[in-house]
Amino acid sequence: MSTKGAAAATDGGKSGSAGWMLSRLADWSRENSLWPATFGLACCAIEMMSTAAGRFDIARFGSELFRASPRQADLMIVSGRVALKMAPVLKEIYDQMPEPKWVIAMGDCAACGGIFNNYAIVQGVDKIVPVDMYVPGCPPRPEALIDGIIKLQERIARRHRR
Amino acid sequence: MVTANETMRINLGPQHPSTHGVLRLELELDGERIVSCRPVIGYLHTGIEKSMEARNWLHAIAMTDRLDYLNPLGNNLAYALAVEALFGCEIPERAVVARVLLAELTRINSHLVWVGTNAMDLGALSVFFYAFRERELLLDLFEEMSGARMMTSFIRPGGLQDDFPDGWMQRCARVLDALPPRIDEYEALLTENPLFRERTIGVGKLAADDALALGVSGPLLRASGVEHDLRKARPYCGYERFQFRVCTATAGDCYARYQVRIAELRESLSLCQQALAAMPGGPVRTSDRKVMPPLRAEFQHSMEALIHHFKHYTEGLRPPAGEAYVPVESPRGELGFYVKSDGSGRPVRVHERAPSFANLQALPSMAKGMLIADLVAIISTVDPVLGEVDR
Amino acid sequence: MTAPDFVAGVPGAVHTVGRDGIDTVRVEPASWTELLRAAQAGGYTRFLDLTAVDEPQRAARFEVIATLHAPAAQRWLRLCASTAERLPSAVAIWPAANWYEREVYDLFGVRFDGHPDLTRILLPDDYAGHPLRRDHPLGDEPVDFTVTRETDAPW
Repeated sequence: MSTKGAAAATDGGKSGSAGWMLSRLADWSRENSLWPATFGLACCAIEMMSTAAGRFDIARFGSELFRASPRQADLMIVSGRVALKMAPVLKEIYDQMPEPKWVIAMGDCAACGGIFNNYAIVQGVDKIVPVDMYVPGCPPRPEALIDGIIKLQERIARRHRR
Repeated sequence: MVTANETMRINLGPQHPSTHGVLRLELELDGERIVSCRPVIGYLHTGIEKSMEARNWLHAIAMTDRLDYLNPLGNNLAYALAVEALFGCEIPERAVVARVLLAELTRINSHLVWVGTNAMDLGALSVFFYAFRERELLLDLFEEMSGARMMTSFIRPGGLQDDFPDGWMQRCARVLDALPPRIDEYEALLTENPLFRERTIGVGKLAADDALALGVSGPLLRASGVEHDLRKARPYCGYERFQFRVCTATAGDCYARYQVRIAELRESLSLCQQALAAMPGGPVRTSDRKVMPPLRAEFQHSMEALIHHFKHYTEGLRPPAGEAYVPVESPRGELGFYVKSDGSGRPVRVHERAPSFANLQALPSMAKGMLIADLVAIISTVDPVLGEVDR
Repeated sequence: MTAPDFVAGVPGAVHTVGRDGIDTVRVEPASWTELLRAAQAGGYTRFLDLTAVDEPQRAARFEVIATLHAPAAQRWLRLCASTAERLPSAVAIWPAANWYEREVYDLFGVRFDGHPDLTRILLPDDYAGHPLRRDHPLGDEPVDFTVTRETDAPW
């Protein structure tokens, strides 16, 4: 995901220049305060709740709050199977999120349809929205989800580096 | 523009923090008061029943975990009992008692999630963190036993997937001993809390007659004063040998449902401890080789065991032709699988009688005349799991 | 096991006992409402479930199955009727039947005459077809395994 402001600042900026440092600061703040939108759909949502709870504690990685309103969130963790009826709703929620935004497909159903290869389930949420990180598992362990979030954070950090 | 005599139509969900999943409610409001509420479901329709018909009886076990995803072992149990009814096979004692233990551990797990999310919906976020702390103790037990925290697929037609690991039962006993003071902690925070009482007493009343007419079951029914629990009404897995009481309340409001579930938590703890004390030795799988092969450990000294295992996992189960429905008491009510076989390896029909499907039908009558904030409390105490509502 | 008392009064009712020990009564669609009312009067006052089984090799392909419960006697009951297309609705007898009949309509296409709101419940409103019919395809997508993928590569 690109932001017009940061792109303009790095336009021709060399590493160490003020423009580069500003965009790097912006990236640092984004990666360390990824606020997920509450998008728990099915079983993976329960593991996502466990990830937010005390033992695994997603808050220490910056995801302090799950925002109910997509307008205030920058990360959509699609946790669960996406049914036909839910697909347009998911797209609408995604569209309502402001840039920059990222999507994690948590679980096998969100990544590829999982064990439900049939008429009712969208075979992978990447058929509807662009996905930045796939976290496989049925459901993935909370540590796996945290691994996915940390890898996403590293990806955000590397955005303007080659 | 809404004039004084008009009502407003707004939409709650399917993406909403308080709808316990992808439930959509079309609300007609007069100010903050609900005039009518129409649930719209189907946002998690997974086609599981069709998928089960396309696969075989063994694959269907893995799919049953994912229906009511807060009660995976209970779903496994209901399915296993239905398929065993078709076979008419004997289940060894150890497996029977172990099933009671696992079903009750899952009930505790489910009610812990309920206490946490119910309190969270009403603003008491701490209870959510405490309940999930306890839940982790139980999930560790499930993981040690089966390899998976949630979707264990451990109870199968014919017995259990495997025996408990060494020392597992002692660890389970220690977890069960640790739980009662924690439940006291939740009660200390909620039961006499004036804010909690204000938001739940008198809210969302469901009369016993309405509950019975709508096919409601489980804690939702028992909180309206109807003493009906399948573990007493139609005992399965030897529940008639265990001591426990059916937890009821009379008020039929959200507070009554809270009281019923907390009481059920304690009863389930007692049932688990009784099951651990009564656990006999012996095999955990039926000796009927058409239903289940022997445990893997037997491969080391029995070629026949290896062949049985191979045939079972390549050909699958072939229950005799017929139909069966064996209901069990899930944390949400009467859960059962209607299975129909034609003698082949693929089911003709597997249908889940999901308790949340019927329970949700009672929502409009409970919500009428309530405030939107009350609706959040009501949905929470109905405790629907959309995975089994939409299947 | 003997049939429940009310069965004798319903024309054409055939009683069996399933492998699960539950009384099963089968009738023609014309006697469906009469059977439901007789069961309710006979103590089976709780409506638990309604589903269907599609066996397309028969003319009356949809076997609609209702599960009832008698709280006083703690007995379960299964009522079945096979139809090619439609059946009278049970909503007037039990409000609980509402969503169940909508689901059978949605997934099988069986119409319930007299239902107040017979619309799709689980699938999108504009979905074409009734998925749980046996002749409706599963709708699965081919899985792209590298070992079965056809390519021009020599290996």
